[in-house]
Amino acid sequence: MTASTAETMHPSTDGVQPDDILSTAQALRWQISGDFHEKIVEAAYAEAAAIADSVVTRPGASPRLALDRTIDRIVTSRLWGFPLMILLFTLVFWITIAGANLPSRWLAMLLVDWGHPALKQLADGIGLPWQLSGLLIDGMYLTTAWVVSVMLPPMAIFFPLFTLLEDAGYLPRVAFNLDNLFRKSGAHGKQSLSMMMGFGCNAAGVVATRIIDSPRERLIAMITNNFALCNGRWPTQILIATLFIGALAPAHLAGLVSATAVVGVTMLGILLTFLVSAGLSRTVLKGEASAYSLELPPYRPPRILQTIYTSIIDRTLYVLWRAIVFALPAGAVIWLIANIHIGGPSIAEHLIGFLNPVGLLIGLNGVILVAYIVAIPANEIVLPTILMLTVLSTGMHEAGAGAGVIFELASQNATYSILQAGGWTLLTGINLMLFSLIHNPCSTTIYTIYRESGSAKWTAVAALLPVVMGLLVTFVVAQVWGLFVA
Amino acid sequence: MTQPPLIQPLIALLILALIAVLLALVFWPGSGLFARWRRARRLDERVLIEDALKHLYGARLRQRKPTLQSLAGAANISADRAARLVERLTELELVELHNGDIRLTSEGETYALNVLRAHRLWERYLAEKTGFAESEWHERADWAEHTLSEDDLAALSSQLGHPMHDPHGDPIPTAEGDLVYHGGKPLNGMAPDKPLQIVHLEDEPEAVYAQLMAESLYPGMRLQVLETSPTRVRFWADGKEHVLAPIAAANVSVRALPAAEAVDDTPSRHLDSLQPGESAKVVRLSSRCRGIERRRLLDLGILPGTKITAELISPSGDPIAYRIRGALIALRRQQARLIDIEHPTGEAI
Repeated sequence: MTASTAETMHPSTDGVQPDDILSTAQALRWQISGDFHEKIVEAAYAEAAAIADSVVTRPGASPRLALDRTIDRIVTSRLWGFPLMILLFTLVFWITIAGANLPSRWLAMLLVDWGHPALKQLADGIGLPWQLSGLLIDGMYLTTAWVVSVMLPPMAIFFPLFTLLEDAGYLPRVAFNLDNLFRKSGAHGKQSLSMMMGFGCNAAGVVATRIIDSPRERLIAMITNNFALCNGRWPTQILIATLFIGALAPAHLAGLVSATAVVGVTMLGILLTFLVSAGLSRTVLKGEASAYSLELPPYRPPRILQTIYTSIIDRTLYVLWRAIVFALPAGAVIWLIANIHIGGPSIAEHLIGFLNPVGLLIGLNGVILVAYIVAIPANEIVLPTILMLTVLSTGMHEAGAGAGVIFELASQNATYSILQAGGWTLLTGINLMLFSLIHNPCSTTIYTIYRESGSAKWTAVAALLPVVMGLLVTFVVAQVWGLFVA
Repeated sequence: MTQPPLIQPLIALLILALIAVLLALVFWPGSGLFARWRRARRLDERVLIEDALKHLYGARLRQRKPTLQSLAGAANISADRAARLVERLTELELVELHNGDIRLTSEGETYALNVLRAHRLWERYLAEKTGFAESEWHERADWAEHTLSEDDLAALSSQLGHPMHDPHGDPIPTAEGDLVYHGGKPLNGMAPDKPLQIVHLEDEPEAVYAQLMAESLYPGMRLQVLETSPTRVRFWADGKEHVLAPIAAANVSVRALPAAEAVDDTPSRHLDSLQPGESAKVVRLSSRCRGIERRRLLDLGILPGTKITAELISPSGDPIAYRIRGALIALRRQQARLIDIEHPTGEAI
């Protein structure tokens, strides 16, 4: 309170100097007990509660409440809680994978197999110079079309399903069941949900950490979300596991063995989530403030149409738009490095030659490293870029679609022979699977982390920590492999 | 690839191990080179001067005579260096010598109070706004007090709502240098059966402070001494009996309460002991529940008098879901332990 307001409030104190009042107040301050702030806050809350209690009428115990209790007893019971959870999530993933298969193929046919040649023809028809049509159509259009066709269908199925479970009130119970596990690594039970969302898309997973209302735990969830294997990385994992690991087993077991390898990588990702969460909460993040609470809202019948609408607008289209924005320049870069030549070889070949020794040291190769650098915007295009660059650098001109045009082959054998020509071994396959799990998040995710955390420092940690870990892991695996196997 | 590897695997792994060991040597918390370098940097002149002033001020407050030896011990330097430090302090007119006594001048006292203000405000900040453990506050504040400018302190003080006391109950000097001590007396000299209130817990030495923390004592706690003997002090507080060694009790300052404010002698229980199906009313939130954690619980409507019913236990044992004002809220056991409740009603299921 300033001296002048003190005077207007107490006109009778005309003769008293404002300074005297202030010094009296200053002296009196010391006589107030130390926790008076809290007393005032508590009194305010108590008053608010008393007013609410006197005017808000609550119906007695409703049948809905009894039903809620019964459902809660089942979904959080020692016996049924976990099996029910596993069953539901398996169902969600199965519907996503099975349901996305066909639309993905249609989109790829429309945008890539039909759209790309059609556009090229159009460009030739109007006499566009090849440099321009290459950059715009082979580079930017094709890469973006690729990302959209791989990304859109699974997300358009996964996100609405997930939102339905959330809307019905089941997901908070999952967080409740799993909280103890996350508590031990210094995280919040709700991180299980943002992690699950990360299996669809890490950028969406990072946005989903908004449900975690404790600052420290939310940062942990954002930084570790990348260890949930996202939609853009599943196809790489499955293909490499089939080509290199499934091929080791007898034919009738091949499917099972490669599936086990993919599940193993996913489990490793979950394990790393816990380990890194524990490490972060005990070291760099231990000073961040933390306050736990988890509300278990009443169950309610999901509003299906509204859910589908909002989840497609909020999550799917948001993520898709970001991905397109980042894929366009990536497509241009991919085409340019493959088509600009400096003293003979293209920029891509120079880079590959330069990075090859490093790549071999960590059990990968120069092509893979270049592909990971140019494919930072989207994990979906890593494998097509690897194939294009391998063909480019080994001079196998009969395969592929030309310099700077990313492609994939329908035949696994043909893919395998290209990779073999690129010098791939079983070690390369294993390390690619590891590196695909443990590397920097895609640029969409990095940008989202920056938007959500508002901190350049934590964004840098989230981007650099996994890539350093990935380089270390692949290095150790490659060297131990060299020691014992080769 | 068929070409020979760049480096032999064994050598590569050894190099990695070597790098790992080197990084550990440099960055190991506490004893690594980086931590040592930071500690060595602390011994620059500003830090030494401020530590010395703090020591001299503290000694005067406790009515002890500071010596070169005590100064050397407090600033963690040799006696020779302490002698040179005192010389420098007299040059700066922060200290004067009177018949071999080292005394603060009035400028020296103002300076010392400012350092004290920085230390206590920072402890308050750590308690309210960060997640650092209680045991880390003192050391972190010892570091931060030398780095904060007057403007920083003014901003910090207004951010915290101009607090009067640090989390241990010590008064925070105002920017003008005013402070009033709590006027408490050590617990081990108090007569039994009088209502008392803790006004201050001494946070040094650390081992003794850890004992006080283990007993969950806090400034503002009401207590009643049951027995004082040369070997122990027994007292009743927050619904249970506490026992301290006299040396620990000496670090607890208390003041007498009017006889009317007798200490509640019903044994209290914590929310985490509530079984599913049982209900109880909240008595208080422990004052160890601070900052945003406390506000969160208040936001949820957990106030003295609120009725809480335990409903569900997570299949993994923690957290527990409680019915609070109609909403179902899960709290972890370590939080529920900070909420004191009355005797429960209702049947456990």
